[in-house]
Amino acid sequence: MAAAKAGADMQNQAYLPDFCAAGTVLVILLVSELVAIVLTLASYVPGSFLTELSKMSMYVLWIAFLSTAILCRIRPWVERQGNTQAFVVCFVILLALCLLLAEITWQLTRIFAESVIIGDSHLGFVGRTFTISSIVIALAMRYLYVSSEWRRSIVLEAQSRISALQALIRPHFLFNSLNTIAALARSNPAQAEEAVQDLADLMRANLNASSDRSTLKEELETAAIYQRIEKLRLGDRLHVKWDVDELPMRALIPSLTIQPLLENAIFHGIELLPEGGEVLITGHRKGDDLEFTIVNPVAADSKRQSSGNKMAMSNIRQRFELAYGSRAEVEVQDAADRYSVRLAFPCDEGVQ
Amino acid sequence: MKVLIVDDEAPARDRLRRLVEESGEHSVVGEAGNGRQALELVGQVHPDVVLLDIRMPGMDGVETARHLDQSRDPPAIVFTTAYDQYAIDAFDANAIGYVLKPVRRERLEQALRQAARLGRGVLEDAGRQAGMDEQRHHVCARIHDELKLIPIDEIFYFVADQKYVTVVHQNGSDLIDDSLKSLETEFADRFVRVHRSALVAVSMIDALKKDDSARTRVILRPGAGEDELVVSRRHVAEVKRRLKKG
Repeated sequence: MAAAKAGADMQNQAYLPDFCAAGTVLVILLVSELVAIVLTLASYVPGSFLTELSKMSMYVLWIAFLSTAILCRIRPWVERQGNTQAFVVCFVILLALCLLLAEITWQLTRIFAESVIIGDSHLGFVGRTFTISSIVIALAMRYLYVSSEWRRSIVLEAQSRISALQALIRPHFLFNSLNTIAALARSNPAQAEEAVQDLADLMRANLNASSDRSTLKEELETAAIYQRIEKLRLGDRLHVKWDVDELPMRALIPSLTIQPLLENAIFHGIELLPEGGEVLITGHRKGDDLEFTIVNPVAADSKRQSSGNKMAMSNIRQRFELAYGSRAEVEVQDAADRYSVRLAFPCDEGVQ
Repeated sequence: MKVLIVDDEAPARDRLRRLVEESGEHSVVGEAGNGRQALELVGQVHPDVVLLDIRMPGMDGVETARHLDQSRDPPAIVFTTAYDQYAIDAFDANAIGYVLKPVRRERLEQALRQAARLGRGVLEDAGRQAGMDEQRHHVCARIHDELKLIPIDEIFYFVADQKYVTVVHQNGSDLIDDSLKSLETEFADRFVRVHRSALVAVSMIDALKKDDSARTRVILRPGAGEDELVVSRRHVAEVKRRLKKG
């Protein structure tokens, strides 16, 4: 829910960053100073570089900070406009500000400075300011627009992959489970009842999965419920060995990680073995990290229709990267007779 | 009608059995947990219809169906599936009967009534459209009423003799119904044509040699038989190329 809401907000928003934030102001300071250096170098006069640079810096920073202050105030209003309107409004306001400051500067130097600080005519000075400002403002706004589009597309892509994954593996499992329940309904009503409850719990866990992290305890419970349903269907062909007692159950993990991994292991491994086999799930604590592996046998001559598998894996990889950056490892070993996935991620037992 | 149920999941078989039996018109003559068992059973129980799960370990439903087609009196086939969108699209396109699990009683009865025998061509087309492996893992020989599966890995070569194709493999030789042409197409990556009437497994060839009358012959690997098949002149270059490629 939270992620979906953030996405919706981003879609409606214009692309301006928060100009009241200290970080943004610092970036603007640096960029303005760079512009000042470029402009000074362009009109280089031997022997007077530092003097020229200080004059130029003062002028450019004055424009930059006043622009930032204005953008800070008008942003809430501008954001409610469309992208094009926001662009036009900001561009016009900033350009007007530049012209005003150019005029003020010209008048001030004329009144206070005896010597000629600005070696140019009135019109020439204002004209240069106008042209340079137009170009710099247009470039800056274009940059902001492109980078906001880029951030937005990343978020949207991540969301769409998550929902694709959530929708992807379900049908096969869902219909098979319903078929099992239909069979049990008469031969073993008590078991059928259990299975319906398990299926309901599992579906609920899936629907709640948008909260991006859950505790290991919840994750393992979801996987155990899933295992119970599959066991009814596959009988003696399915064995799962859990070795996870060492794990701190309060630790957080991106939600719906373990159950999809078990689902993969069964769908691509156990189900394709006539005699079935054993999925081995182990969890350990390694210093500040948690390490989690899941290993399943695979049929030697299986046709390896592994696109679903790869999809699920790249999705998990992406979510771990999103949650932990480079501090998480997701490793897949695809050998001839076994498939194994290893997850290593920082142990976070913080309160939810 | 006599129905054979093939599904790897016990609850699924139980339910189908009950539905068939409750119809009153049909009877279940056997159950199999995988494709191989199904092929063994079919010669013993002679079903009219086989209810065949698509996704099964070892040999999937489509390959099983292609082998069933070789039995003396091929049964009609109705596929069952929980969810296989590609397969379903392909079945619809080729008018192949199927039912979706959980199966509805009325739908099953309708499918049994309309069940039809499927030619191998139809199944190959459907398999291809569904993106399933069109290459079988076995070829199938019929010995009296029994179907015998011969794993592709164990085959040395195929030779055509007028009407029949003989497959020579680890455990002897058998006659099969496939044509040399269709075998060549299906297993193009593993077999090479050495002569108008012979197809040899590339992995089983040890070397080529010239005999006294300057004809090229194939020497098979040790254990793959003593026969020295003649390589016809127009195939020599291709055989050499394939051997180099390994």
